[in-house]
Amino acid sequence: MAMRKFINDPKNLVNELLQGFALAQAKKVKLAGTNLVVRAKPKSQDKVAVVTLGGSGHEPALSGFVGDGMLDISVPGEIFAAPGPPRVIEALRAANRDAGVLFIVLNHAGDVMSADVAMEMAAKEGLKVRRVLSHEDISAGSRENPEDRRGLVGALLVMKVAGAAAEQGRSLEECAAIAERMERNMATLAVAVSSASHPSTGEPISDVPDGRMVVGMGQHGEAGGGEQPLKSANETAEIMLPLLLKDLDIKKGEQVMVMLNGVGSTTLMELYLVLRRVKGLLEERGVTLARSLVGEYLTVQEMGGFQMCVARMDDELIQLWDAPCDTPALTVK
Amino acid sequence: MSQLAYGDVLNMLRGAAAEVRANHTTLSKLDSVGGDGDHGTTMLRCMEAIEKAVVEAGDTGLVVLLDKAGWAVMGVDGGATGPLFGSFFIGMAQAASPHGTLDAPALAAMFEQGLAAVRRRTKAQPGDKPMIDALEPAVEAAKRAAEAGATPLDVLDAAAKAAETGALATRAMQARFGRAKNIGQKSIGAEDPGAASVAYLFKGFYEGAKTNA
Repeated sequence: MAMRKFINDPKNLVNELLQGFALAQAKKVKLAGTNLVVRAKPKSQDKVAVVTLGGSGHEPALSGFVGDGMLDISVPGEIFAAPGPPRVIEALRAANRDAGVLFIVLNHAGDVMSADVAMEMAAKEGLKVRRVLSHEDISAGSRENPEDRRGLVGALLVMKVAGAAAEQGRSLEECAAIAERMERNMATLAVAVSSASHPSTGEPISDVPDGRMVVGMGQHGEAGGGEQPLKSANETAEIMLPLLLKDLDIKKGEQVMVMLNGVGSTTLMELYLVLRRVKGLLEERGVTLARSLVGEYLTVQEMGGFQMCVARMDDELIQLWDAPCDTPALTVK
Repeated sequence: MSQLAYGDVLNMLRGAAAEVRANHTTLSKLDSVGGDGDHGTTMLRCMEAIEKAVVEAGDTGLVVLLDKAGWAVMGVDGGATGPLFGSFFIGMAQAASPHGTLDAPALAAMFEQGLAAVRRRTKAQPGDKPMIDALEPAVEAAKRAAEAGATPLDVLDAAAKAAETGALATRAMQARFGRAKNIGQKSIGAEDPGAASVAYLFKGFYEGAKTNA
């Protein structure tokens, strides 16, 4: 397949990407150490630090959430591949403080393995780190087998509410409890209509036939759901939303937040159509749409499709979501 | 040759790097079935890290050499590949003698510790179709050969052959671990790229050790 991307030497891709990102967002982030993304102005040492890791090629995630009110450090890996443990432990050391470090890990094999090695070293060195796993993809495993559930865009919610709690000066235990509560109460489903190509190889990373869609596509074209004819925006919302509400056992009278995350080539226009139908479906069930977020937050290059994340919200989680943040990819005032 | 000298182990590592370099495009092609198609590139970066460690290690002895090689591989930002293969070398370092040479039982024991270290990183079992399906038979074959009184070179030959057989056997399996498990049935018929990498690694160990024999 012909390369259709403006890149230079694939070997330098992540380096160049990070340099450009830091230039574009110089007021909010900078590079430190071995390609760690840190806040331009660090938060005070008496507050819990929030750290994450993850592959590149998903911009603006995850480094786009470094900044006031959210992350302190992100450890970007290679394209679609987790960073190795040495840079992860470097980040944990840099973040370490008496208040502690909350370490948010999306459930993907490489990320978890790197995080595990880094956590073992952190324990040996006496660092104060709590790990929270974000894994809410309902296509990849049942609630009884959470280890099989991959981490998708819901991690953004976890980072937002935990980051806000940290900013308020709450303890590491409280921040971790809030992160875990958010994590337990969210569910995500992805739908894909077209593949992305790997930036380094130019080869497609998955295969979606023309005129079809795959529900439960995961993040990188890992299948796991049903392939079916492409449906309308309304029909797609009608397929996806009930599965998410059922997984969370959302009942009449509850309030939810819905996030629609475009993964690359699906337009905002389409996402707005979907949100409109989601709102109607929730109303029919007597469920309140307390907050929504529509945009591109965790992409997979030019893949076509989106991730729908539903989260059960309580008053505290809403208050933490509404708390101010100022990051390259998300600003709440 | 009844003993491997330090220089022979350096050659084993160089041989592994050469073997992976010669086959990295094949590894990437295998990975495109269930993964991103970049496993070969990642393995090549792992091997370049090992070559650098070999140069930097100088005469520091087996323990430091293998530990450095393992951490160099860990440092490659390539998903699970770095931690898994890095753990193998770090595990071997833990069983290596700080001085002197390696006889066949010591070599087999080193591989066993490497396998144990990989096991601590993954819950995958043989038959789940990850790298362990090549690594475990290779280590078992090394152990059997050493117990039967083989030379270190014959131990490496037996391990290389068993790794290749193990890697080829993954074709018939459905992936239950790693990224490829998400494609389920579609993974049947394709060789697991991680297992194939293990086979190249052991073939390279053997070819490398032979160069001085």
